[in-house]
Order: sequence, then C-alpha cells, then structure tokens
Amino acid sequence: MIVPRTAAEEALGLSLPHRRMEDWKWTDLRRMVQAPYVRMPVTAKQADVDRLVRSSPFAAVKAQRIVFVNGELDASRSSLASSPSQALAVADDDVLLQINRKLEARGATLRLEGNASLPVEIVHVVTDDVPRGVATHHRIEVADGASATLIETYVGEGDYLSSAVVEVALGEGARLDRIKAERESVRATHLAFVKVSLAKGAILRDFTLSSGAALNRQDGSYIFEGKRADARISGAYLLGGKQHADTKLVVDHTVPSCTSRELFKVAMDGQSRGIFQGKAIVRPGAQKTDGKQSSHALLLSEEAEFDAKPELEIYADDVVCGHGATSGDLNHDHLFYLRSRGIPEKEAKSLLIAAFVGEAFDGIEHEGVREALTAYAEGWLARR
Amino acid sequence: MADVETIELVKDIDVDKYKYGFETDIESELAPKGLSEDIVRFISNKKNEPQWMLDWRLEAYRVWLNMDEPTWAKVSYPKIDFQDLHYYAAPKSTPAPKSLDEVDPKLLETYAKLGIPLKEQEILAGVRRQGERSDLDGESGGEYASGKVAVDAVFDSVSVVTTFKDELAKHGVIFCSISEALRTHPELVKQYLGSVVPQGDNFYAALNAAVFSDGSFVYVPPGVRCPMELSTYFRMNAKNTGQFERTLIIADKGSYVSYLEGCTAPTRDESQLHAAVVELIALDDAEIKYSTVQNWYPGDKDGKGGIYNFVTKRGDCRGPRSKISWTQVETGSAITWKYPSCILRGEESRGEFYSIAISNGRQQVDSGTKMIHLGRNTSSRIISKGIAAGRSDNTYRGLVSAHRKAINARNFTQCDSLLIGDKCGAHTVPYIESKTSTAQFEHEATTSKISDDQMFYCMSRGLSEEEAVALIVNGFVRDVLQQLPMEFMAETQKLIGISLEGSVG
Repeated sequence: MIVPRTAAEEALGLSLPHRRMEDWKWTDLRRMVQAPYVRMPVTAKQADVDRLVRSSPFAAVKAQRIVFVNGELDASRSSLASSPSQALAVADDDVLLQINRKLEARGATLRLEGNASLPVEIVHVVTDDVPRGVATHHRIEVADGASATLIETYVGEGDYLSSAVVEVALGEGARLDRIKAERESVRATHLAFVKVSLAKGAILRDFTLSSGAALNRQDGSYIFEGKRADARISGAYLLGGKQHADTKLVVDHTVPSCTSRELFKVAMDGQSRGIFQGKAIVRPGAQKTDGKQSSHALLLSEEAEFDAKPELEIYADDVVCGHGATSGDLNHDHLFYLRSRGIPEKEAKSLLIAAFVGEAFDGIEHEGVREALTAYAEGWLARR
Repeated sequence: MADVETIELVKDIDVDKYKYGFETDIESELAPKGLSEDIVRFISNKKNEPQWMLDWRLEAYRVWLNMDEPTWAKVSYPKIDFQDLHYYAAPKSTPAPKSLDEVDPKLLETYAKLGIPLKEQEILAGVRRQGERSDLDGESGGEYASGKVAVDAVFDSVSVVTTFKDELAKHGVIFCSISEALRTHPELVKQYLGSVVPQGDNFYAALNAAVFSDGSFVYVPPGVRCPMELSTYFRMNAKNTGQFERTLIIADKGSYVSYLEGCTAPTRDESQLHAAVVELIALDDAEIKYSTVQNWYPGDKDGKGGIYNFVTKRGDCRGPRSKISWTQVETGSAITWKYPSCILRGEESRGEFYSIAISNGRQQVDSGTKMIHLGRNTSSRIISKGIAAGRSDNTYRGLVSAHRKAINARNFTQCDSLLIGDKCGAHTVPYIESKTSTAQFEHEATTSKISDDQMFYCMSRGLSEEEAVALIVNGFVRDVLQQLPMEFMAETQKLIGISLEGSVG
C-alpha cells in the first residue's frame, strides 16, 4: 500500500514511522509530526539566549560548558574547547539517525581523560523563530580508567523539531555519570537517540528527565562489550497537558558477567501520555548476566494514559533477569495517613509524588545535580 | 509420589519417542486438496448446513483472501502452502454416527491408546449404552458419580461420538458437536457464533471460519451447575490435512461449566496445520473454566514434522460478575501461536489465565493472553510459567489493557521462565496499556535457571539428575497445576516429565 507523503515527510525527504510498526505502535510519528521542518539558519537575539541558558535546571551547578545555539556551536559562551564532530559516519538505518543526518547535525567530539573535577555540561538552546529543524550529534569518549560527569540540557522556545544524537564510548574501567534534562519548548518535538558502549569493567550511571516537549521520543541503546561492566539507567517523566513521551531502551548483554539496572518513574497529569518500552537482550554465551528493570507509572488525572512494554529476550541459561511494571494512582492509604496528620490534600499529594519521582534521582552521585533536579520537580509540582 | 511416577515414565520411554505417535489405519474421506469457494461449499454441503451458514463461511473466505499471514510472532517456519492441504477429512465408516454401535473399532482402539477412561471406552465400543450399569462399576460402588467426564471425540475433522448426552440433557445442558447443534439448535448457534471471534478477526480465524469442519458446542442453561467435566479429544490422523475445529461454549446466567480439551496427532515427517477457534460466552454471574492439555506431535529432534498450532481462543465476560478462567498446559506442537484472551465487559467480571508452556527440541512457542478491561471493577490474573530446554524458543506475549471506563480495573501478572541448557531461549513480551488512573496494574517477570544449590540438595538426597530436574520443575509450575481439574493433574505431571526428557546432561 502506498501512502502519500505528508508535508513533514516531504520536507525531511524520508518516510516517518507509524503505528503499524512495532516500535512505534504508541507513537505515530507520521501523524504526530505534521509541519514541514527543515534546517534553516536564524540569528538569535543575545538576550533570548542568555535567558534560555539561565533557565537550565543546572544553571547554578559549577561546570565546564559547551553551548549550542539553534544547533550551532556558540564558542563565545563555551568554556570548553571541543573539536567539531564530522557528519554521521555510522551506516545505521534507524530513522532517528536518518532525520539527524537530513538536518545536517553539528556537534562536539569530546575525549574525557583522568578524573575531571567539574562536570561537563552541553547546553542546547533553541530560540523562538520560524518553525524549523535543529539537530546535534555528539561523540563522547571516556578514556580507560577515566571518570567524568556529563550533563546534557535541552531548553527552547517556539515551534521546532530537535534531533539529538549522542554516541558514548566508555573505555576499560571508565566511569561516566550522564544526566540528560529535556526541557524543550512546550510546542517542540524532541527526537533523541543515544548509543552507549561499555568496555570491560566500565561503570555507567545514566539519568534522563523528560518534561518539556509536546512530543518526546528517545531511543537508547546500551551495549555491553566487555565483562563485568555495570550500568544503571534511570529516568523520570513529569508530564502534563497533552504531552507525549516515549522511551525505548535496549540493553544488550553480549558478554558475560555484566549487571544492568533500569528504573523509570513516570508521573502524568492532564491528558498526557507516557510510554516505556524497555528490552533486555542476553545473547548466547552472556552467562552470569544480572539484569533487572522496573517502570512505575503514577496517573494523576483521569485522562492520563500509560503504556508499557518491558521485554526480555534471553538466550543464556545461567542468568538472573527480571522486570516489573506497575501503574495506578496515588495510594489512598498513604494519602489518608498524611491527611489524618493535618497535612492539606494538595500538599500531601505533592509529598507523595515528590517521593515517587525522587527515587529515580537517588542514583545520581553529583549532589548539586541531584538537588537541581529535586528543585525542578518541586517547581513542576507547584505549577500543576 | 507423582514425581516418582514421572521418573518411571521417563525411564520407560526412549528419547525422541512420542507416545501418541501412532497412525490409525482407517479409510477416510478426503476433500480434494486446495482451498476455493467450491471447497467451502463442499464442506458446508457435507454437513447439510443451512444457507445462512454457507453465506457466513463464504464471507469469511472472501475476507481471508485479502489478509496476510501474521509475522509478528517470534516463530519461524517455512511458508505454508494453503493450496497443498486437505480441508476436510472424515473417517469413512461413520458419516453421521447415529448409534454408537456404528463406530469403527479401530477408532475405539485409538481412543484406548489416548487414555480415554475405561468406562468411556465401554460406551464408545458399544458394550453398554449410556445410562446402563457397567460391570466396572461393581468394585467402585455403583453409580459412576464421582470424577466422571463427558467426552466429545473429534477425529480429524469430524466429531465421532459424544458420551453422557442423556444425563447432561436431564440438566438441560446441551453438549454435542457443532454440526449437530446447527441442526438441533440453529438459533443458539446463529446468535453466538462469531460474536466473540468475528470471521475477519485474524488470518487463521478467518481461515477457520471458512472451512471449520466440526468442534464442540456447549450450552448451559440459567442457574445450572454442569454436573460433570466436559471434555473434547482432538486427534489428527489423516495425512496432509489441516484440522479446523470450532468450539462454542455459552454459559447462561448463573451457570457453571468446566471444560477440558486434549489433543494428539500421529508422528509424521511433514508438518500438519491446526487452526482452531474457541469462543466462550459467560452471561451474568456465569463461570466458565476452560482447560487445555495440548500434546500435539512436536516434531523430531531436528525439528522435522510436527503440528503448527495457530489457535484463536477468546472468552467474553458479557454479564456482570461473570468469570472466565483459562488453564493451559502446552507441551506439544512444533509451533504454538496461541493467546487465550478475556474481554471483561461485564461489571465486576473476572478473567484468569494460568499457563505452563514447555518447549524442548526445536519447538517454538509464542503464547500468552490478553486481558481487556472494559467494565467497572473488573479484575484479572495471569500466571505464566515457561520452561525452555534443548534448542527451543519460548515466548510469553501478552496484553493487559484498561479502557477509560474500566474504573478500578485490577490486574496482576506474573511470568516466570526457566531455562534448561544454554542453547534455548526464553522471552517475555508483555504490553500494558492503562487509560484510566483508577486501574491498578502490576506486572512481574523473572528468568532463571535451576540453581546449583537446588540440584545439589536434591542429588545429595539420592535423586538422579533427571529426577531432581523433574522434581524442581514440578515445583516451579505448581501454581498452575493446582488450577487443573483433579483428574488431569497427575496426568499433566507425567506429561511434564516426558516433555523434558533428554534435556539434562
């Protein structure tokens, strides 16, 4: 069956995935992305950029910064030099990578060595202008034995499509604490793709906040390439209005003796829709794998919706793998307990929601970052 | 006890030998190979069906022509040539068995081998009529009151005989083949057939609707608790046939029925196709318990032959406080593609799914359930135990969804997989969709192997490796075994032992 291309597909020069495709059954990109987004150079007002940079939840965290404004490196605002990234070399047929390539993504290439004392923050700013496509593609390498903290922040105003690709390679015994905060414009579409490879003994702590964009889809691919590596991947959604956030994770155990943990906390208000698709693969021979995954959803309004597909694909027998998924509203007993102690309903609810979401922040080692996220969640709760 | 029996059984049987792999040499009447409107007419004509039934079949056939074979399941097999199959096979000597004496003795031998209860065989063999006293009753004390089972036996495409009809009729329960029901109770069939699984529901359901040859029909009138277990034995015998049976069970207001199906097939090199449809309808306060012990021929060690089991099973909890419970033990078939589901439409209705799926050799299982919550205060429970051994693949695929109006829907799901050996695969693919904040869904899945500690413990107490595995596996599936009717629990434990033989060491 031939379906005529939508305006968005014409503009991007490719076919967008739709709900008849298994990975996109809950996020019909063809239907949801209608406007023709193309790459378009614009001049940003400095005051807007300043305001947006300051609006990053991590503005107060001391860090080395690299700032991308409307998809282009802004060297004047960046305190860290990085070699510009070449056009995407990987011959991957993933549609999110194709979109990134079509929008001629720019990006940074970073090689992190030794034990960095300060986190590195890559700030992505999009200013309000004509609807357009903005794309970045970064490559991060953490050298053998090195340890670093990487923050990615996405903030913006107006109507745009943001395509964010990040490739991360962790060397032997390396450690990376990666924190991503998606605080795009309420009218924006955020399409992210992250690919992380872990060498022997590498440690990854990965956290993603999804809270800004009208439509957020992120595909994560985490590949264990060396033994005894350990990854903890967590995330929090704070959604309201008609927001739609969909995370698809693949944790691929190709070698023995690795550990993976995933924890996603989804809080949904209004008519928002949260989706979590997590898949753990244990390849033949990847014995002694220890993999656990859990996703929990809190539906704060009658019209919110949660969909989950936690998947296991296992080809080795000596493994311990499991997943859990729950969804529901606030526990009425907990609420009753708090209210019987004189706490007003709204406040009691906020306390419970904060505690629910806060669990996903617990794994973040950097205190300043954790506090900034907690403060952001409190602000979100106060606004709801 | 049962575990010891399991071991004994395993010892008796050589690896790679399928207990039910005999072929009964009975002349059978076959429709010509291939599928066309004429074949559909031929089948309908053979069964003397009313015009509306033929129209219904033809409509299904036309829908089927425009459908594609589903490919989303995690199974792989050579493409099926649907024109290379016989769509109708009937044992020649019994075109329409009116009296039991007409039954071919070779058929009865078959049922004896299948382990149909002795008293049933007596009836089948025409030694005594239904309702007559049997010599066998002497020792057990007269009336065959306890543990009796009414059997509907389906041989290839045709229902051969149904037992205990008279006694069931006393209670108003209708239990007969679906072709008979079409003659005697057309209004019931017309009202309910296809109301749960419509003709065009999916590729195999459409195929079934077009060419289904027979199956069982059950109607339990309001307020009646069916006095005995109802059971169907399916047996595929003729070569190159597809078996397409259709089961329709209606539990009217406040009634209860427990139904069991068992399946076997002879050993053959080529694969046989089985595409059944089962529809359950539970009206207000009614309860249906449906149990399956599926032991079709799984193919040989190298994956040659075996049954392709593509089945659509769905229950509709139509009335308030109704309940449908599926219990399945899946040990056979080369390929299993089966998702017994519940539509929870009535308020406070309940759906249950208990499953043991065992795969060994080159078997591929893709099975699970769907719980669709539509009504208020509906609840469901899913317990699935998958055991993969040899070079098999075992997938649980399920959906739990709550519609916006399904206030206070509840689900609990537990999927456990056990891997025996490092050449097999165990997969879990659950879908959870919640459209209301008042729905509470919990899903849990684990995958593990038999721990060395457990093995060491058992073996240090004198059990052999195989005995230890059988013991531990039987413990692993205990939650589901308990859901089976008493009569079949012991049998199933043995079956588990047989299915896993050759998987250790």
